[in-house]
Amino acid sequence: MQELHLIILAIVVSFGFVFSYLAMKEHDLLKALALSSVQSTFFALGFYILAAPDIVLAYLAIAVGAYTALVILAISKTERYEVGE
Amino acid sequence: MKRDVFVSISFLMAFLLISYAITVKDVLGMAENPLRPLGGFYLRHAFAPSNLTSHSPEVVTAIVWNYRGFDTLFETFVFFLSIMGALSIFRLTEEQEKEARSLESREPHRHMDLITRATTKLVVIMIVSISASIALHGHLTPGGGFQGGSAMAVAALLLFAAFSKFTLERKGLTLGHVITAYAFGLALILATAIAPVFLYDGRLLQINLLPGETGLLNLDVGEYIAVTFGFLMVFLVLGISEWIFKVILRGEIE
Repeated sequence: MQELHLIILAIVVSFGFVFSYLAMKEHDLLKALALSSVQSTFFALGFYILAAPDIVLAYLAIAVGAYTALVILAISKTERYEVGE
Repeated sequence: MKRDVFVSISFLMAFLLISYAITVKDVLGMAENPLRPLGGFYLRHAFAPSNLTSHSPEVVTAIVWNYRGFDTLFETFVFFLSIMGALSIFRLTEEQEKEARSLESREPHRHMDLITRATTKLVVIMIVSISASIALHGHLTPGGGFQGGSAMAVAALLLFAAFSKFTLERKGLTLGHVITAYAFGLALILATAIAPVFLYDGRLLQINLLPGETGLLNLDVGEYIAVTFGFLMVFLVLGISEWIFKVILRGEIE
């Protein structure tokens, strides 16, 4: 049973990893924000598998809700596209 | 794009290799000693009925408010400082506030379509009730003030996005009221933290001296109020349109 949990954890966290990489590479900041909230969702699943429901409750609300909204507000005050290499 | 895929896959391989080495091959030697001494101490003492804990049957809450009580208290203070920072950066004098309000009333009135608004109303009611249950039941089940408060902040945010800042202000959630509610939450937390010193000759934050679950409930509710209204305050301040701010700042220079 424990092995199964560890395997699910590894899969979920690697998906989160891939999405965080994609978010870093994305030049459209709004798309990057969406990718980063997908990554947060996967990490929240990881916390749930690690038997920390307290963290899941706070993490989902903060990382998917409040953080995303604050960054959207910040983006609205600058430019949407990241330019130049 | 090809390079991206290559980099992703190589990171993934490294990750899988490290997890294989730690879990199956046990390179760090964690398998023969799965429960660390500190964890054992917490597990044995978290449920102690009388003197050691804050009367919480939930281990996480017992640890958060006993062994890590100061941690949580200082976390509240850090949150307070950051909100005060935001407020002092975006502060307006009374005349400027009046000017901002008159400029805001000239903005075109926009709102989303009927489906979005009706769904948002339903969802907000659900989020509010769930966040209240998370916060008020926090000492029995997983959850607590901070978790409930952040869920509640999301509800306020949904209202903010689907309707507008003005809807919230018309319902009475103006900046002044929100600051008052936030101060009330902080005062409740501080009073509960100090009460054992004056009433029972205990130490700071020794809430197990208070009768029953009073201490835990007060801290939970105080944190819930403080986090909810703290977030809402930041959203209200950030929600002022940029061109209005520019007009006001230009007026300040001239």
